[in-house]
Amino acid sequence: MLKLTLAGVNHKTTPIEIRERLAYPKEHLNDALKTLSRREGVLETMILSTCNRVELLTVTAHVSPDPEFFLSFLQETHPVLQGHSLRPHLYHLTGQEAALHFFEVTASLDSLVIGEPQITGQVKEAYERARSLHLVGPMLNQIFQRAISSSKRVRTETGISNLPVSISYAACQLARKIFQDMRDKNVLLLGGGDMAQLTARHMRKMGVGSLTLMLRDEKKGRELASEYQAIYAPFSELENSLVHSDMVVCSTGADTYLIDEKMVSAVHSRRKSGTLFMIDIAVPRNIDPAITRHSGIFLYNIDDLKTVVEANQREREYEALQAREIVREELATFARWQADRSTVPLIQSLRNHTESIRIAEVERYQAVLANLPPETREKVDILTRSLINKILHPTYQAIRQSPDIDEVREWVTKCYGLPADLPSPANHSSDGSSSGRLSLPSTHLVEGESPA
Amino acid sequence: MSSRHKAVPWAGITAGVGGALLHTLSLFILFTLRGHFTLISLKEAVSFFSWALVIVFLILEHQRKAHILGIVVFPVSFLSLLFVLGVSTDPSFLQSPTTSILISLHSVLIDLGLASAALAFFVSCFYLTLDMFLRRKIFNFFFNKLPSLEFLDRLNQEFNGLGFLFLTLGLIFVMIWSYRTYATIWPWGQRGSWALLVWFLYLALVLLRRRRNFQGKQAAYLSIAGFFLFAMTILAVNLYMGGGHSVF
Repeated sequence: MLKLTLAGVNHKTTPIEIRERLAYPKEHLNDALKTLSRREGVLETMILSTCNRVELLTVTAHVSPDPEFFLSFLQETHPVLQGHSLRPHLYHLTGQEAALHFFEVTASLDSLVIGEPQITGQVKEAYERARSLHLVGPMLNQIFQRAISSSKRVRTETGISNLPVSISYAACQLARKIFQDMRDKNVLLLGGGDMAQLTARHMRKMGVGSLTLMLRDEKKGRELASEYQAIYAPFSELENSLVHSDMVVCSTGADTYLIDEKMVSAVHSRRKSGTLFMIDIAVPRNIDPAITRHSGIFLYNIDDLKTVVEANQREREYEALQAREIVREELATFARWQADRSTVPLIQSLRNHTESIRIAEVERYQAVLANLPPETREKVDILTRSLINKILHPTYQAIRQSPDIDEVREWVTKCYGLPADLPSPANHSSDGSSSGRLSLPSTHLVEGESPA
Repeated sequence: MSSRHKAVPWAGITAGVGGALLHTLSLFILFTLRGHFTLISLKEAVSFFSWALVIVFLILEHQRKAHILGIVVFPVSFLSLLFVLGVSTDPSFLQSPTTSILISLHSVLIDLGLASAALAFFVSCFYLTLDMFLRRKIFNFFFNKLPSLEFLDRLNQEFNGLGFLFLTLGLIFVMIWSYRTYATIWPWGQRGSWALLVWFLYLALVLLRRRRNFQGKQAAYLSIAGFFLFAMTILAVNLYMGGGHSVF
């Protein structure tokens, strides 16, 4: 019976000082994977290494590797950690628990920021890397497919990814609460700091009509403007730019109000559109809060955006409850596949055994049967097959539904007189479709297909 | 909105479509048996309003995907029908019911106008709620479900335009009928004055929209006032002003 084991460290169990040393640089990942795959009993393997986690997935025959197996591997591949005990930080999961954890990781339910989209891509990358080295077999393939499927369902069937949890993205999402279509909107960015640049990037993704960038440093301003396909304008143009803007994002280092009540009063009557959405993420603030007395002006400062982010985080946690239900559904599908798969060799053996008995018996009566017309002989053949299938059908069902495959194998072997060296799922030969050198169980059955 | 979340509105909309089809069938049978489609009583007017509300919403839902309106349209429509079922006596608006096609068109168009005005009213309430959430920085479940202010403002404009169109056509038909029957196009007096006031208010709503600074909150407030005036006028004309349509 194939055993799935997952061991690793993540942001919940391990401080950054250790995580940063454990993370595998991309150029070393292939070597690490090969090293792990050469360890005794490992049939399939995969390593997920990100800034928040290092997780090792292995598929072995019969026995799950213990935590020491993984600890020694981590020590071996990270000589810098010699002398550090990783044991308190390591989690070690087997079977369904390992699968559940992997599903939750892929669906971003175990992430530092629940629902962040990068982790699914990182899981895909880890899988592709292992596959390119022929280290993926049917088990990891199936768990990966189910994990990706649950991740997609979580994204489409819950609102977990719709609620922004970063300040710059929250600003853009608030804009969507005010404007329906950003394609005809003019956005004015004051300042060129990280936050302003992140907002500019989000704005471009949202497809804003035009982006105007104002910066005191003209050279840097023009460079940034070209990077974000924006128009550069000097600060002297601020009042004129406000007339045509629908949204203003202010993030400069100025210690006074750049946009005050007087300026907005002067601009308000000249504006075509009545609604002006202003984001002031600068500290100290750059926009006078008194401007909100004008109708159609919405002003948000950094604290307001933090409130949005906090509210969204709470909402994401609520959505995560629904997401976990989806993950459990996908886990049940995986468990069914696993159960079906582990019973295939036994059912196949039983079938081969009874078929050989049937053929032998038919041949024993060959002299009698030879006198019959061909149609009748064919009917006898069908009759014997049908009889055996009908008798064995409840046995097949019992095998599939049995919680303990080893116990049922012993029972079936005794009852039907099957050979004692009956092949177990783990030592079946590969079907050739999955990997080169790994000895993996074969299966010619698709999910839900009956061998009978 | 996610697909699990979508399942709820879609179930609601599917049930709404089913209900609207059955309601359409019942109205068709009623009008066919009677031979004309004049709404002759409060019960019939409310029943038709309930139908019109859902139909106008479903058409708009198909074009604009304004799911959120469903949370008020279906309950209001349902409550209207409950009211219809609860009314035991139902005196006719008309002292001498007419089968004129002009009067039939007048009654259904005015009801359709009221349904459009009701939808503009709901949208305006949503607009003012979202505006309040955005100003007071309230980020709750309902905030996340509401569409953008711009979208709500556009819907408001469309519903008011539609309401004005139905109202104008309804009044034109009754004016033609009045001219043919009584040789006067407008029955001046309380009833006629109130109807004209409603029409001017909706005309103002449509014309003011052309001004750049008349949008958003101002338009929402005027829509709410317009709907109340429209609804009160219909009720007052039909129930309290000497039998309303008694001259006809």
